[in-house]
Amino acid sequence: MSRVLIVIPAWNEAANLPDVLSELRRARPDAELLVVDDASADATSSVARGLGASLVRLPLHLGYGGAVQTGVKHALRRGFEVAVTFDGDGQHDPSDVAPLLQALGEGADLAIGSRFLSADSYRGSLGRRAGRAVFAAAARVLTGLPLTDPTSGLKALGPEAQRLFAMARFPDRFPDADAIVLASRARLRIVERPARMRRSRNRHSMHGGLRAVSYSFNMLGSLLVAALGRETDLKG
Amino acid sequence: MPIRQKLVFLTIALALLLVIVELVRRRRLRVEYAWLWIAAGVTPLALILRYDLLVSLTELVGAAIPTSTLFFLCILYLAVLSLNYSVRLTELTRQVKELAQEVALLRAEKGPTP
Repeated sequence: MSRVLIVIPAWNEAANLPDVLSELRRARPDAELLVVDDASADATSSVARGLGASLVRLPLHLGYGGAVQTGVKHALRRGFEVAVTFDGDGQHDPSDVAPLLQALGEGADLAIGSRFLSADSYRGSLGRRAGRAVFAAAARVLTGLPLTDPTSGLKALGPEAQRLFAMARFPDRFPDADAIVLASRARLRIVERPARMRRSRNRHSMHGGLRAVSYSFNMLGSLLVAALGRETDLKG
Repeated sequence: MPIRQKLVFLTIALALLLVIVELVRRRRLRVEYAWLWIAAGVTPLALILRYDLLVSLTELVGAAIPTSTLFFLCILYLAVLSLNYSVRLTELTRQVKELAQEVALLRAEKGPTP
């Protein structure tokens, strides 16, 4: 059995963490749970520690991508063969981790949980679905892979993918479609598996209103950078 | 160029240069940044001494009057300067991110602190 680290980026998730962590522990007693506290103002850190999870606490708020990357760096340094990124707001289902691990076992470097391959997944508002469809189409064109859900935060990373995600110049806002395009250019084997997404329980969900607009433009830019960037920037 | 105008320009340019040199001397401005600002102080000086340069430059770029050439140059200079700042900010953002991550990972290695 390979060593698995489940990376849970958390920003002010003290209320959601108990459920997320206990569900994960029940579903994956073999895995180590790591909460990356992204400089929360609430009790995220003490809740995580109290529930027996490993904890890395950022001294300042880096945002989703920076927090995930911190967890991946931790996995690399501790020699975990697999790092799974799992949102701290309760939108992911722990039972969807197993198919991702299996995919890595079958030779994939990066396995992504897709809500569109799952029949009963929460798919979000019309606007979000439209945005996702655009980025999914872009990711398909740029990678030539049949991707359906490149914005998914549920991913399993083998050693090669961990190294890519830990690069200093890796997209550190929201590593979504741009990250997958980079992974594809770095010749990683990428697969999708069905995942049942739930409605996020979070008040400060990541993409709402004006943020959605800024996210879209930034992602578009980041995608172009990923697709047109220099080959040398794919290493280190 | 009327003498009054020359005096005003001269005073401003010299004051600017003085401030820059003093900031560098007190280590409040890094030398590599200072060169950009020294250029900003020296250029008006040069134009006061050699007004004909500005006139020929005006003809070269096809502007109607030397004043517009001057304004154009100023705006261009400021635009390049802020582009330069954006590039530096990008690099600093990356460095701060790397540092924050390193601090967090090292702290976690050390074990929990109260």
